Amino acid sequence: MTHPDGKLLELEHVGFTYSTGIGFYGGRRIEALRDISFSVHEGETLGLIGRNGCGKSTLLRVITGIFRADRGRVIRHCDRISLLALNVGFDANLSGSDNLVISCMFLGASRREAQRMHDEIVEFAELEDYIDQPLKTYSSGMRARLGFSVGLKMNADLLLVDEILGVGDAAFRSKAREAMMQRINSEQAVILVSHNHPTMVDLCQRVIWLENGEIRDQGEPERVVEAYLAHLEQVRGVGRPLQGGPR
Amino acid sequence: MLDNSGDENAAVPERGHAATGGTAGRNASRETHLLAIDTRQFWAVFFTKLSMNLRSEVSRTYLGYLWWLLEPVLYVTALYVVFGIFLHTRTENFIVFLVCGQVTFSWFSRSVGNCTRSLLQEKGLINQVAIQKLFFPLLVVCQDLVKQGVVFLAMFGFLIFMGVQPAAAWWSLPVLILVQWLFILGIGMVCAGIVPLVPDLKFLINTLLMVTMWASGIFYSYKDVLLREHQELFLMNPMANLIKNYRQVILDGALPDWGALAAIALFSMALIVVMLWVFRRLDTTYARLALQ
Repeated sequence: MTHPDGKLLELEHVGFTYSTGIGFYGGRRIEALRDISFSVHEGETLGLIGRNGCGKSTLLRVITGIFRADRGRVIRHCDRISLLALNVGFDANLSGSDNLVISCMFLGASRREAQRMHDEIVEFAELEDYIDQPLKTYSSGMRARLGFSVGLKMNADLLLVDEILGVGDAAFRSKAREAMMQRINSEQAVILVSHNHPTMVDLCQRVIWLENGEIRDQGEPERVVEAYLAHLEQVRGVGRPLQGGPR
Repeated sequence: MLDNSGDENAAVPERGHAATGGTAGRNASRETHLLAIDTRQFWAVFFTKLSMNLRSEVSRTYLGYLWWLLEPVLYVTALYVVFGIFLHTRTENFIVFLVCGQVTFSWFSRSVGNCTRSLLQEKGLINQVAIQKLFFPLLVVCQDLVKQGVVFLAMFGFLIFMGVQPAAAWWSLPVLILVQWLFILGIGMVCAGIVPLVPDLKFLINTLLMVTMWASGIFYSYKDVLLREHQELFLMNPMANLIKNYRQVILDGALPDWGALAAIALFSMALIVVMLWVFRRLDTTYARLALQ
């Protein structure tokens, strides 16, 4: 299944446009992604940084096939690409246990796999006492813990992680971070989106900086993150976001 | 709206190019149709979700399953009071006549209403997982079928209690129910698929359901009320036709009009096939529409 060059995923000149609003009053057409090209190799951890609304989440959805690119090509050399989102398919009226199983299944596990991982996930989420209660009785932190623990245990050839490292209380957060670090440092290929820049420098082998739907810079994490932070500083100084940016 | 359909069309040549050119055909073909959820997984998730939803629905209200029965009972009571007593338009055995019409019609109208909301309600999930959109209306229609099974059982119990004699022709009821289910699935898929594209239609669908109710002869017998030359037109409405056939089997102990049933089944299957194609064609459009 793997590509001779060890590539898991290639994007070539990918573009994605949508319009805001519908009807005769029209909407603005927004080019969310423009001419994006990069590839991800086996075992690699790739970071995505950029300001809110620069297209990071849209890019992840194009990669998983939730959105279809309008232009360019997305070539996948692996079977299972999972977007590790929190609380996939949760139903507030079902027990934590049922939600756990259905969520695993939406993320690609078989029912048997889900049931096998059940206890392990519950233990990690520290929800042993509540797992048979309906989800609507959970606090938002408990929900997020369950969601995160499900995501953590899912198998995927390429894992897309969208800003979910800050979940739960301080104790859980450090445990979650550690577990995720372990996962990322293993053979797992990951695309990581985060605003936690020191984490990105620690974890990633390569970082891509997105700005207004375009790749502004990519390469060595330390250098790219530094350039990005310097840019932020400058933008804040000016007082309003740069439109388009230099090409 | 127009913008968006333009988008999809613009995407076609690009995809065509992608599929033919490029590295290896094997890789290129995976490009557009790689979904996190394949067919086997689809059905596994489907049936798990189905059984969970049926349970979840029960825990949402105090009376749980009882509501599935109480709802038609309330409707029939209201119709009986208004038409049977106040307007005095009763036919013989009016309660049984009403039950046959109302129970089957509310199945149709509830399921279609639920389908209409099905994709909009699951916006969140559609944005997190690449899943075939058929999942949502089909789930609704199957969930409602199970509930309706309970209602039908109760209905037959009630009819026998009211003195209706089960006739040999009752063996054809499962066929009738299957044909109605196909019809509901067809219409439900159309509503589910079209409403996210043009949200305004939501209002139109509600009105159409109401009109269909008046036009389906739930509380009047078309043979008594309509002119002979209008009767054929009346029976062109699949719901009116199905209700007529339910009554023919249950009340008169006669076999249904097979020709009409075959026509409805064929029409429904045609709708289903067309909608399967539409869902396949617009699969990723629904996720994109959630942004608008």
